[in-house]
Amino acid sequence: MSALIPTPAARRAPIRMFVALLALFTVLPWLLTAIGLGVNLATEVLIIALFAMSYNILLGTTGLASFGHAAFFGSGAYAVGILQRYGLNGIVISLAAAIAAGLVASLFVGLLVRKKRGIYFGLLTLSFGQMFYIVALRWDELTGGETGLTGLKRPAPFGLDLSSHINFYYFTLAIFMVALWLIWRITNSPFGSLLTAIKSNEVRTQYLGYDTALYKLAAIVISGSFSGLAGGLYAWFQYAAYPQNLFWIESGNIVILTLLGGGLSSFFGPILGAAVFVGAQDLISGYTQHWMFFFGLIFIVVVTTFPNGLPEAFSKFVASARRRFGRTARETVISAQSSSRYGAGQ
Amino acid sequence: MPSLAEVVSQLTNGVILGLILALVASGFTMVLSVMGVINFAHGLLFALGAYLALSLHKVVGYWPALLIAPLVVGALGVMLEQTFIRRLYGKDPLFVLLLTFGIAMAGEDVIQMIWGKLAYSISPPDLAKGSIDLGFMVYSKYRLFMGGFALVAIFSVWLFLAKTPYGAMIRAGSHDSEMVGILGKNLPRIRALVFGLAAAMAALAGIIAAPLWSVRPQMGLDALLPAFLIVVIGGMGSFWGSVLAGLLVGVANSFAVMVVPRFSDLMMYVLAVVVLIYRPRGLLGTRSVLE
Repeated sequence: MSALIPTPAARRAPIRMFVALLALFTVLPWLLTAIGLGVNLATEVLIIALFAMSYNILLGTTGLASFGHAAFFGSGAYAVGILQRYGLNGIVISLAAAIAAGLVASLFVGLLVRKKRGIYFGLLTLSFGQMFYIVALRWDELTGGETGLTGLKRPAPFGLDLSSHINFYYFTLAIFMVALWLIWRITNSPFGSLLTAIKSNEVRTQYLGYDTALYKLAAIVISGSFSGLAGGLYAWFQYAAYPQNLFWIESGNIVILTLLGGGLSSFFGPILGAAVFVGAQDLISGYTQHWMFFFGLIFIVVVTTFPNGLPEAFSKFVASARRRFGRTARETVISAQSSSRYGAGQ
Repeated sequence: MPSLAEVVSQLTNGVILGLILALVASGFTMVLSVMGVINFAHGLLFALGAYLALSLHKVVGYWPALLIAPLVVGALGVMLEQTFIRRLYGKDPLFVLLLTFGIAMAGEDVIQMIWGKLAYSISPPDLAKGSIDLGFMVYSKYRLFMGGFALVAIFSVWLFLAKTPYGAMIRAGSHDSEMVGILGKNLPRIRALVFGLAAAMAALAGIIAAPLWSVRPQMGLDALLPAFLIVVIGGMGSFWGSVLAGLLVGVANSFAVMVVPRFSDLMMYVLAVVVLIYRPRGLLGTRSVLE
């Protein structure tokens, strides 16, 4: 058991990183307005980053590539929308419903796929995720069919007017930071270590006596619940819940942006991925109708050239640039010293 | 209450739909079992077959188009394998999944760029126009032609896989592709061949389905998702499992059209859920390396 308890260093929250993120996101709206972009872009980055962080509980921590996560995200969005149809728009009840919707949806899918792994897991999550899309499309009375649920309103907790974009941004930021901390706690708990153990070798973890299917189910449900929360926020953000929010393309986007940010190896990576992806989406769809073509290209380029994400690609680029453009004198001396010291005996 | 003739004709529709889906799914499952690749672009190849037939049949007529389009798409499949997919063998299967996902997305948009967003329809060949009186019911000639054609195609692929030396290599490859390479067979060439064959099969299914389904950019998706589910239901890597599951999905679908028309699309998912609960490896699936 002792191996499962994280080292003190890993258990200490990276306070500096949290503070830096908080500071960055606090000033982000001003930065964006200064270069002529809206606050809404920042809000979208936050929500998608939350979605990606919750997705990474499965991909990065447990090593399971789900291709149906849009179903959980969209369920959260629809939960908020459906409650509003019945006149309920309280902040607590809406967010609770969004989380519950993500939880129930992921529990359903999780029960079916908990014993699978690898690409079979991906295939099944994609198929069952798509099932939610069809239900949303066909169950007109509840979901509004193809048009979705439009004309939603944002709540006004304690007289705070969330229809103001900047207020809504900070409201989202508060939820984002809390969720981020929770996800960090989960990932770095003994439970999180077990998920990492499943990632590195599921069979061996089973031999140690753990019911890995149960742990995988738990990971799916936790990840799905946070995704539902993100979806609920997104419904307020876009004043609507659309069937597209449940669509498999959305599931694929979340996988690629998590990879793009380096989510496989870094806890905070998905946030970077979300920022780059949402930014690119905004840029590309502003210039051309054929955004799908460019997105497809982004997929192809990311996967073939830097599947481990932007951070690694950047450090590789820096390293190769150094090699090409010569080193500083000091580095040359150091490397000469080290090669003479370690290379002598070979 | 629908009359007996209606029920029979609906169920026949289901069988024929099932045969088309089986043709799509068996190519998909072949790539999956030999290379361990979930090919998201399989639906794109299906759609490309239909679109090529659309453009070609105006120029050269229906029958030559039926021959040329699968060859072109098959060659394209080989090209995709050679340029992109082979770079990712042996790496995390997640990457190749995302790669084909990207190809599918970009490809669908390329189709929109070339042929536009609107849906087209292809008229069936003169030989199979109109309907035929079978005594107890009147049935569309083209549907019968479709069913027969799909059946022949499925059977010839099976013959190829089961009775030819190349087929034996492919089957061996689906058990242990590395061992096939070690035994001195040209593994890269087998993989390219499998990919091309699967692409041609998808395209062929697309062409024969084209006069019945509207030809539109999203049609790839309409074929891809059933193919996934059929593989799940039939069992990974099992050729006859795919055929059986295809028929099952087709019939279940047409049955649902009569009973719960609005949710008929959901039928195959329900089927997959039931199969997964009672037979986690699918109807004819055996234990495979993919689990």
